[in-house]
Amino acid sequence: MANSNLPRRIIKETQRLLSEPAPGISASPSEDNMRYFNVMILGPTQSPYEGTFVQLLIGGVFKLELFLPEEYPMAAPKVRFLTKIYHPNIDKLGRICLDILKDKWSPALQIRTVLLSIQALLSAPNPDDPLSENIAKHWKTNEAEAVETAKEWTRLYASGA
Amino acid sequence: MGNFSSSNVNSRRRHGNRRSHPPPPPPAPPQPEITANRYVFAAATPYPSQYPNPNTPPYYQYPGYYPPPPRAMPVPLPAPYDHHHRVDHPAAHWVGGRYPMMPQPAPYVEHQKAVTIRNDVNLKKESLRLEPDEENPGRYLVAFTFDATVAGSITIIFFAKEGEDCVLTPTKADLLPPVTVNFQQGLGQKFRQPSGTGIDFTLFEEKELVTEAEVDPYPLAVKAEASPANQNGTEGNQASGAMNSQITQAVFEKEKGEYQVRVMKQFLWVGGMRYELQEIYGIGNSVDGDVDANDPGKECVICLSEPRDTTVLPCRHMCMCSGCAKVLRFQTNRCPICRQPVDRLLEIKVNDGPDE
Repeated sequence: MANSNLPRRIIKETQRLLSEPAPGISASPSEDNMRYFNVMILGPTQSPYEGTFVQLLIGGVFKLELFLPEEYPMAAPKVRFLTKIYHPNIDKLGRICLDILKDKWSPALQIRTVLLSIQALLSAPNPDDPLSENIAKHWKTNEAEAVETAKEWTRLYASGA
Repeated sequence: MGNFSSSNVNSRRRHGNRRSHPPPPPPAPPQPEITANRYVFAAATPYPSQYPNPNTPPYYQYPGYYPPPPRAMPVPLPAPYDHHHRVDHPAAHWVGGRYPMMPQPAPYVEHQKAVTIRNDVNLKKESLRLEPDEENPGRYLVAFTFDATVAGSITIIFFAKEGEDCVLTPTKADLLPPVTVNFQQGLGQKFRQPSGTGIDFTLFEEKELVTEAEVDPYPLAVKAEASPANQNGTEGNQASGAMNSQITQAVFEKEKGEYQVRVMKQFLWVGGMRYELQEIYGIGNSVDGDVDANDPGKECVICLSEPRDTTVLPCRHMCMCSGCAKVLRFQTNRCPICRQPVDRLLEIKVNDGPDE
């Protein structure tokens, strides 16, 4: 069973994520695998990924999956967007280009800090270090239009459903 | 790739009152305990369990003391100091006074345990300041706050040249003779040099007062000795060598036309050895005594369970428990907090005294 011998660190992180969630972020472990988390990140305000206000905030909810490998925290968690997103640092499979998930990982980072970094990446797309060449090119040649596309994708796909 | 790597992850530091403190060290002189391959950790105020210390500075509660690297001008080191003679770890050797630049074959770093030495008098370096001498316009007096667990004396020396065995010699004694003042034991004492003995900046050239890098002589040195000045009174600072003392070296800075004082270096002279004082980041969080494993401010950043007791050197981030540190050193040679290469790990147990 995957949940036996779960390190105390993972148990603590999970407890804290559930009891004190970061604003705009929710992460809850799967029942049958405590190393697998279902994650939802709200698109940051004033980014193309925020929801729309129609009395209530609608949409702008991005689903991700997060998996803690056996070596965690000596190795970074594996994170992927499940919701389609138009972003130069995220590819069509939802893979994320973020330094702390690769060579800049540190065991002092946690699930919470990783998700906060991803949320911040939504506020600050970096087309100079792209994962999706086409989206990055779009961003650099016509940013206004690219942002419109990102907003459109947010409306179409990031409903949270 | 986005750049959200944070170099100050988990940098929360709690500044709670300390309730538990290292026990008084054994009466024997600390020197014999200092053997090869050990670092020294000194508690700034070893006895305060009966005195709550109201002036605890946030990051300076337990300054870590470890021997400074060899200086450019080689100084003969006493034998116990000579802890770099292991052959199994190339990085442990000094090469021409520097660490060898070659990469280590494996991310393995030394794990060492600290030895505690006692610091009887501690000048709180952030409190060092200049105050105008009302009775002598134009002159400025050196003032600061200090803790003393025994009686002793403080000597203010301007333009002090450091000689062998930490003897400080005033180089402009004709203009500004050194001033020695005795004190009684007590924590949080205020010091101000006697009126009339202060410095008149107009008598000196700016380049003598304001110095950029490390300098000798330092424009200001404060020597705090852990025993009263001897019968010769003000000659106490000249005899020096044998007595344990803390020395603070400072420079003057000109800000908006006013001179300010800034501490450059503090060191201890204990048992015939010179220890440079360095701060340890994050240590204040882990020495509160009652280990609350659920407080993110003092738990190991890796297991989130055990209290922190291991400092990464040279960056001095106290962030791990010894167990995780032992695992980490085989996985990576980067500090978890700042990602600087780890040279060695220093385990500092402050709560393992007999009263625990």
